[in-house]
Amino acid sequence: MKKQAINFELNGEPVEVFTEASGSLLHLLRGQLGLLGTKEGCGAGECGACTVLLDNQPVNACLVPAAKIEGKQVQTIESLSTSNTVHPLQESFVKKGAVQCGFCTPGMVLSAYALLKANPDPTPGEVKEAISGNLCRCSGYKQVEEAVLDAAEKKDQASSED
Amino acid sequence: MSYIIASDLNQALQILRDSKGQARVIAGATDLFLQTLPAELVDLAELYETTQLEESGGLLSIGSAVTHASAARSLLIRSKAAALAEACAMIGSPQVRNIGTIGGNVANAAPAADAAVALVALGAKAVITDIEGQTREEAVEELYAGYNRSVIDSSSEIIGRLVFKPCAAGEGSAFMRFAPRRALALPLVNVAARIRVSGRRIEAVRMVAAPVKPAPTRLFETEALLQEIIPGHEIWAKVEEAAASEVEVRGSILRCSGQYRRHLVGTLAERVLKEAYQRACASDGGET
Repeated sequence: MKKQAINFELNGEPVEVFTEASGSLLHLLRGQLGLLGTKEGCGAGECGACTVLLDNQPVNACLVPAAKIEGKQVQTIESLSTSNTVHPLQESFVKKGAVQCGFCTPGMVLSAYALLKANPDPTPGEVKEAISGNLCRCSGYKQVEEAVLDAAEKKDQASSED
Repeated sequence: MSYIIASDLNQALQILRDSKGQARVIAGATDLFLQTLPAELVDLAELYETTQLEESGGLLSIGSAVTHASAARSLLIRSKAAALAEACAMIGSPQVRNIGTIGGNVANAAPAADAAVALVALGAKAVITDIEGQTREEAVEELYAGYNRSVIDSSSEIIGRLVFKPCAAGEGSAFMRFAPRRALALPLVNVAARIRVSGRRIEAVRMVAAPVKPAPTRLFETEALLQEIIPGHEIWAKVEEAAASEVEVRGSILRCSGQYRRHLVGTLAERVLKEAYQRACASDGGET
């Protein structure tokens, strides 16, 4: 299988990889770049566990040909936290009990992150819509919805204190 | 395998010519990437020609690589082709809509592809260019060669854009689907309509349902019922009955029985027609 060079921006850093053009972005991230936060669930675009942001938009990494990301920005769950701190949105997930087994969580968080970036004050309906491509099979969606609204509220307070 | 992101339509056609049938075009990749891939892929998602969305010369022109998400958000489409905006908002999931394209929804030729159903109701034509440089227009409903088979040969032809007349004053369109869930579910039935009124009298109507045949299917008998009338309660009830009885639908062990599907066609047909009619009347500018 022929490999080709791909240049893109990964979590804010320029990256060049030499990879199979027919492979998916998901396998490039997990297999070749060792970023295991992006999960593989169904591998067919139906569960959202592999959600990453491509030019700030949530996409299923399993459905994106690796070669398609040339010149684009890719953001994975690893970009939201450092070794010591987690993102306020992730804190809200913990606070509201929105994580059980955790397999869907990276995708949920990134879908919610993209929503809050575009729409800092979403309605519950808009939150449901934003996470409608992410399946959870254990804790359910109510806690996730509450976590996202909690994070939006925190953001609101933070900006009104400025 | 090689994967080339084309920079303009001519380059894409040149690659197809040079590959002598080995290369295929791809855009959002959400369907094709799950199948066995050909030796060469030409990505059309970044072309100027396929990403424009505009109204000019009395036509709405939607580039084939416009994503479902951009179409659903577009004020132009929401105001002048509401059925298409509604259909695009229901495809797959937000993740799929952010990358899947309108042209792909047509070329993939699934029998109940939401955007394609809305496009047929709106009277859309695909503008297709082949490797000989010839450009032709074909009605979207003519592009189906069978279940999940398009007449478009993606190794030698490219859908550049989809064109149709935008809804003007006195016109309205609507789309509805019924699916087991509101996201990540294929529709059991989807229906779209476009109506033109004068005063409150219906002058023209196009009504489409799927999955009925391999292509989105016009409901001609139901349309005929509505010609040149001012619809009232009795007509809407007749519409439901007529739509349900004119379709030959099949059941499926995974989805639902044929009988249930027939019931859904009738129910959705009535609701969609009413909605499109109300929109048409509301946009008629109060002229009687």
